[in-house]
This record gives sequence, structure tokens and C-alpha cells, in this order.
Amino acid sequence: MDRRASLSGKAFDKAGVELKRLQHLGQLARGWLVRAGRTIRFAAVVLSLVISPTTYRQDNRDAIATQVVTGLGANLLWFTVLCALVGVVLIRIVVVTALSYGLSRFALEMVVRVLVLELIPLTAAVFVALRCTLPDGLEVAEMRRRGDLQLFQGQDLEALQREVLPRVMAGVFAVLMLVAVSCLMALGLAYLNIYGFTPWGFAGYTRVVGQVFSPAVSIILVMKTLAFSLAVSVIPMASAVYDNVDTALHGRSKAARELASMVRLFSVILLFEVVSLMFNYY
Amino acid sequence: MNESPSEQPAAFNGSSAGVQFKAALLLLLMILLVGGSVVYLMYARGVFEATQKLVLVADDSEGVVVGIDLTFSGFPVGRVSQIELSPEGNARMIMEIPRRDAHWLRTSSIFTLERGLVGGTRLRAYSGILTDPALEDGATRTLLVGDASAEIPKLVASAKELIQNLKALTAADSSLDASLGNVKTLTDKLNGKGGALGAILGDEKHTEKLLTALDRANSLLAKVDILAAKADAQVFGPSGVMKDAQATVVQLNALLVDARASLKKVDAVLVEAQAVGANAKAATTDLDVLRVDVESSLRKVDHLINEINRKWPFKRDAELKLP
Repeated sequence: MDRRASLSGKAFDKAGVELKRLQHLGQLARGWLVRAGRTIRFAAVVLSLVISPTTYRQDNRDAIATQVVTGLGANLLWFTVLCALVGVVLIRIVVVTALSYGLSRFALEMVVRVLVLELIPLTAAVFVALRCTLPDGLEVAEMRRRGDLQLFQGQDLEALQREVLPRVMAGVFAVLMLVAVSCLMALGLAYLNIYGFTPWGFAGYTRVVGQVFSPAVSIILVMKTLAFSLAVSVIPMASAVYDNVDTALHGRSKAARELASMVRLFSVILLFEVVSLMFNYY
Repeated sequence: MNESPSEQPAAFNGSSAGVQFKAALLLLLMILLVGGSVVYLMYARGVFEATQKLVLVADDSEGVVVGIDLTFSGFPVGRVSQIELSPEGNARMIMEIPRRDAHWLRTSSIFTLERGLVGGTRLRAYSGILTDPALEDGATRTLLVGDASAEIPKLVASAKELIQNLKALTAADSSLDASLGNVKTLTDKLNGKGGALGAILGDEKHTEKLLTALDRANSLLAKVDILAAKADAQVFGPSGVMKDAQATVVQLNALLVDARASLKKVDAVLVEAQAVGANAKAATTDLDVLRVDVESSLRKVDHLINEINRKWPFKRDAELKLP
């Protein structure tokens, strides 16, 4: 009897462990869903503020202009230089490889597809996130921690318009600007690499570019860039605005919280990239 | 907002008008970049070009996508704008041909669809006679399809057949093997005692018979040789037949000379006879004249007698009176 009782006790223990594990998974899923819901809600609030006339009052305009100029001023030059260097190397590799296989007529198309459609928007989004929006998110979180900013769970629209919205708009603008400048520069570098300093390749080049940028591909590029810009601008701010209401965060260190926010952001960027690839090539 | 001045961004330190101006410039730059890109892409897609339509019909549009070029001599002269299925089940590729390039396409132009092993499908136009009338707008032409990858199964089937044939040829019980065996036997015989004769005749007895026949033929030839020498001596020798024949020929020549002289004499006689004949002919002509004269004289005499008879008193009454 004792043995039977001990056996049934072990089975109960095992079932209890499984139940706890399931409960933990459920809590994680619930937490993830709550955070996703809050982020989407925050994005909706921000977008509604963007189209609200009160956002563009004089003092808010100053704040927006300041954030835009500060964000771009720090990033535009460096990113353009970095992108030009990496772009030249990649273009050279693609062109030389295509030539060696006798596929030079596909080199330009490949360069445009790889660099302009895929790499540059992704890199620009990551660059802006690392250099601009993640630090901005931390800054907002710090301001909240110090008590300088009372957002009352994101309901204080004045504070949002004054402190958060300019940073979000600067992030969006920075991504769009970096993508536009870098893509055009990559197109120019590709032309110079393949044809050299001559105007006679322009007709063929234009034709290939026209073939690559079909209406569907162009729309996907625009949508992807917008999605990246929104993701890198909204997600860090949403974390900064909402994270301290989560009890779980009290048990985390500041670095772990920042890292979790970054991972969340990069996961979303990766998700957008995969979706865009699916639309482009399937 | 209760931020300390040290936490303000650097741009806040400048005037707000300056910052707003910079932001407006950046915004303007981005609008220009995006707008310029859109216009350039529209130009690259041929939105601003005046075009004419050309419909190419093929059994299969596999590999053809909207946007690929139609090339003429390696230069793009049009692009696929639409692909649709016709009511007959064929693929209809509607091409946009820019007006400035349309003169390369003529009514006699040929259009091909090529699918290579590497790379995309290519549409090509060939215009042999550039003086033919230009291709009209909305013309429909049939595509000639050249598919390299479609040839692979045929090639593999042919190669398989060839390999099977080779296998059958080189099999242990094949005709080639038997032939090679026979060749080996033949070469063995060639190297054997009878040599080539043994290989040809197949039996040593026959070989010996042939050799004996050859010996006898040799001796016969020797006899024939002697016989020929004797015949030569009899015909062409000092007292041979040829000498008599030569003398006979000389005599025959002399006889011919005599005959020629006799014939000349006969010719002269004939000439004289001809002259006699001519004289006889002339005399005959004179006789005719003489006869005419005689006949005339006789008629005159007759007339005279009749006249005398009429005028003569003793004219007889010639009239008969019937009772």
C-alpha cells in the first residue's frame, strides 16, 4: 500500500511540474500578447497624434524639428559613408563574380535587388534603431524613472506630444531619409562600377532598373521601409512608456530590460523582412 | 516639462527658427529625392513613351514575365506589358513597342522565344528586309519557340539508344564479336603454313592443287614464249612472209599507176563524145527550122495549086448531084 501510495505521489508531483510549466508558458504568452497589444495601441495613439493639428503647435514644432535635425545630423553622414564603402565592395564582388561566370548582364539586376531592395532598408532601420531610437527610448524611460515625465500609462497626450512624439517622428524620418539617400547612392555607385564614367550606359541601365522596379516591387519596398521606420520608432518608445507598469520588470536589471527591448525590435524587423521577401519572391 | 538644460539636445541651444529651417530643408530634400525617384522609375518603366501594341502568340508562355524585353540585334525595342490566355488556349503576349523603335519591326519580321539552359527567357525579333512595310499597330504574330531545355529529354533518349546499340554491338554473342573471332581465325591462317592462299582456300589440298596449276601454267607460258619467237621468225624473218607481202604491194602500186593512165584516156574519149553529142543537138535544132521552112513552102505550093485550080478554065465541078 505504501509503495502504491508513493508511486501515485510521484505521478502527482510530475503532473504538478507539468502544470506549472504550462502555467509559466501561459503567463509568457499572455505577457507577450499584452505587450504586443500595448505596442499596437501606442502606435495607433502616435499615428492619431501625427494627424492631429494640435501636435503642430509652435512649441511642439520646435521639439519635432530639433529631434529630426539631431537624429539625422548624427546619422546621415556616417551612414552614407558606411553604406558607400560596403556598397562598393558588394557591387564589385557581384560584378566580378557575374563576369567570371559569363552572367554580366544579370549583375546590375542582382546589385539592385540585393542592395537597394533588401540590404539598405534593413541596415538603415537597424542603424537608426541602434544610434537613435533605442537611446531615445532609454532616455524617456530614465525621465520617467526620475519622475520628470508622468505619462499615466500613456494617457497624458500633452506629454506624449511634447516628449515622445517628436522622437518617434524623428526616427521615422531618419529611416526614410537614410533609405532614400543610400538607395540613390547605391544606384549611382552600381552604374559607375559597371559602366564607368560614361553616359552611354544610361539607357540600358535605366531599362534594367525599370524592369526590377515593377509596380509590385516598388510598393513592397515602400511598405517595407514604412514598416521598418514605424517599428524602430514605436517599439522602443512603447517599451519606455509601458514597461514600468509590468511587475515582471521589477525583477530585471536595467541592462536586461534594454536587451529585451532590442531583441523585440529586431524580431519585428526580421518578421517584416521575411514577409517582404515572401511577397517579393513568391 | 522639467528637464534640466544639460539634458536638452544640442539643437535646442540654437534658435528655434534655425532648427525649423534645417528640418524644413531636410524634409524638402527627402521630398525631392522620393519625387525624383518616382519620376525616374516612371520614365524607366516607359510611362512617358508613345507606344504601339504588338501581340505575340505562342503555345506556351513559360518563362515569359511581364516586363521582359523584346530585342532586335541585341537592343531592346519593346517589352511585355500583359500576358493572357486566348480563347483557343494559346498564350497571348501583348507587347508595348516605343514608336521611336517601331521602324525596326517590319511586316516580314520573325519573332522567336528562346529558353536557354542558363538565364531567363528571351524574346527576339529578326527583320530580314528592312524595306518592307512597317508593322502596323496591334499586329498579331506567331512566336517561333526554340527551347534548349526541351531538347534535353530527346537528347537523353537518343544517347540511351546509342548506348544500347553499343552495348548490343560489344556483347559476348554479338555479330561484332563473331566477326572479330573470324578475323582472328583468318589472321591465324595467314600466319600459318599456307599463308594467304591457305586462308582463302581453307584447305591444304586445294592449296597444293593451286600451286601445281600455277607451275603448269608457268611451263605453258614458257612454251608459248618459244612459239611466239618462232612465229616472229617466220613472219618477220629474212625469208618471212612480210618480205613477199612488201613485193606484192610494190607491184600493186605499179598496177594502180597503169589503171590511172587508162582512166585518163577514157576521160578524153568521153570529152570527145560529149562534143559529138553537142553537135548533134545543134544539128537537131537546125533541122527543126528547116522543117518549118519546108512546111511553109509546101503550104504555099498547096495554096498556089488550089489557086490555079480555081482559076483554071477546066475547072471540074466537084459537086455531086444526087438523083
